[in-house]
Amino acid sequence: MSPPNRLVLGETVTDWAALTGAADLPDPVAVCTDQPRAAFAAVAQHVADGTELLVAARSRVDEALRAELIEAGFALPDAGVPAHRAAEPGRLWLLTSGSTGRPKRVAHTLPGLTTVTGPQPPRVWLCPYSPGTYAWWQLVTLSLAVPGQDLVVPSTVEDWPLAAVEHGVTAVSGTPTFWRQALYRHGDALARLPLAQVTLGGEPVDQPILDALRQAFPAARISWIYASSEVGAAVVVHDGRAGFPVSWLDSAAPGRPVLSIVDSELVVASPHRGDGQPAAVRTGDRAEVAGDRVLLPGRIGRDEINVGGTKVSAGAVREVLLSHPAVRWARVTGRRAPLVGQVVSAEIVTDVPVETVVLQRFASERLAESAVPRHIRVLPEIPVKETLKSDV
Amino acid sequence: MLARDHIRDLMEQILAAQGKDLPAGEAAELTAVGFRSLDFSELALRVEDEIGRELNFDAPGLRTIRTVGDVLDFLTDLQDAA
Repeated sequence: MSPPNRLVLGETVTDWAALTGAADLPDPVAVCTDQPRAAFAAVAQHVADGTELLVAARSRVDEALRAELIEAGFALPDAGVPAHRAAEPGRLWLLTSGSTGRPKRVAHTLPGLTTVTGPQPPRVWLCPYSPGTYAWWQLVTLSLAVPGQDLVVPSTVEDWPLAAVEHGVTAVSGTPTFWRQALYRHGDALARLPLAQVTLGGEPVDQPILDALRQAFPAARISWIYASSEVGAAVVVHDGRAGFPVSWLDSAAPGRPVLSIVDSELVVASPHRGDGQPAAVRTGDRAEVAGDRVLLPGRIGRDEINVGGTKVSAGAVREVLLSHPAVRWARVTGRRAPLVGQVVSAEIVTDVPVETVVLQRFASERLAESAVPRHIRVLPEIPVKETLKSDV
Repeated sequence: MLARDHIRDLMEQILAAQGKDLPAGEAAELTAVGFRSLDFSELALRVEDEIGRELNFDAPGLRTIRTVGDVLDFLTDLQDAA
């Protein structure tokens, strides 16, 4: 029995009990929808009947993925495709975010996705995530499992501060890109939000964004979470600092993930991992020890830019650019160039106009010569993908 | 097609950002000017941005670049080759 938590789905105010029986879905089923109510009704059916279920935003399921789902036996009600195999009761499927390649299915169950079950302070959570993502499920399972956890799903992510003020939101979870864009676009509206909890995850979380959020929300608890469809929730940090304590490495405790660094890569052995995942999952994320912290600056391979034989960390360059007071967002990549193979290239969004040469000087005072961006493009606004990530 | 004096302007800007001057004429050695590989790479990317297309950096001639004039020749020729 789910607690009577309030669900604000666009313009509709409801709860889990009212949604139970609202959907009449085949089994197994892939619900591809941009309608919050349809996604939540599908979850309510799963809770009631154990329907084998995959939920995803319509835009995340391209023709190739749609064909894969049909091949795998799922019904696709929006396309009139029936199920053509027996369902696996209680099975939930998540799609990986696709930031590591094509989205792939990862098997989970509702108990496995439910990582918070103990009593929590009453909160009204904003849920800006795309239906079916791991972060979306984290908020959904919180609402299903813990009394006093209301959810507000805004009609559009762009106008979320208005919905948050209207519905009394006290807790917001979003990616660092979501937060940078919010601070950039909605500074005035955010000042009217008395947030008690600010949560970040899904992308590298750097110190500048944590500091900016601390300044914007001085009374809030600020948490960042490292989680993925494959390993589940693995790291939760509340001290306002980037990275996690070195003392957490290779530390085993019942019910807790074990975190390790192997060849500069974060390896997670988590009880919350997807079914069928190896006990220890190589995450593909770079892990660096800096003083008493383990920093996670970005993906291995993607993070590395080879400038004339010198390896440059895109994450480290990005961190420096973001530490400039005018820079709100930055994406750092390698760009093909003569003589040196690649040079560091950056796209940025700034609060106020700033000469790129000023940023280059700023970077040159803090980075090795090979790491200074040789090409900087100023974008008018932060580009955001469906997953709320900006592909940095 | 970016004119030779326009490329020279870009070269001057790159050096100026580092507090360096571009001498008059084209005979100055790049080592004396302090125009290094990364500067050359940046200049090539700026030319690409200006003309709105990629250059074929694999075209021969890179090893002959020693003077300011060589840089201007190379990037002018490269636009023709692309």
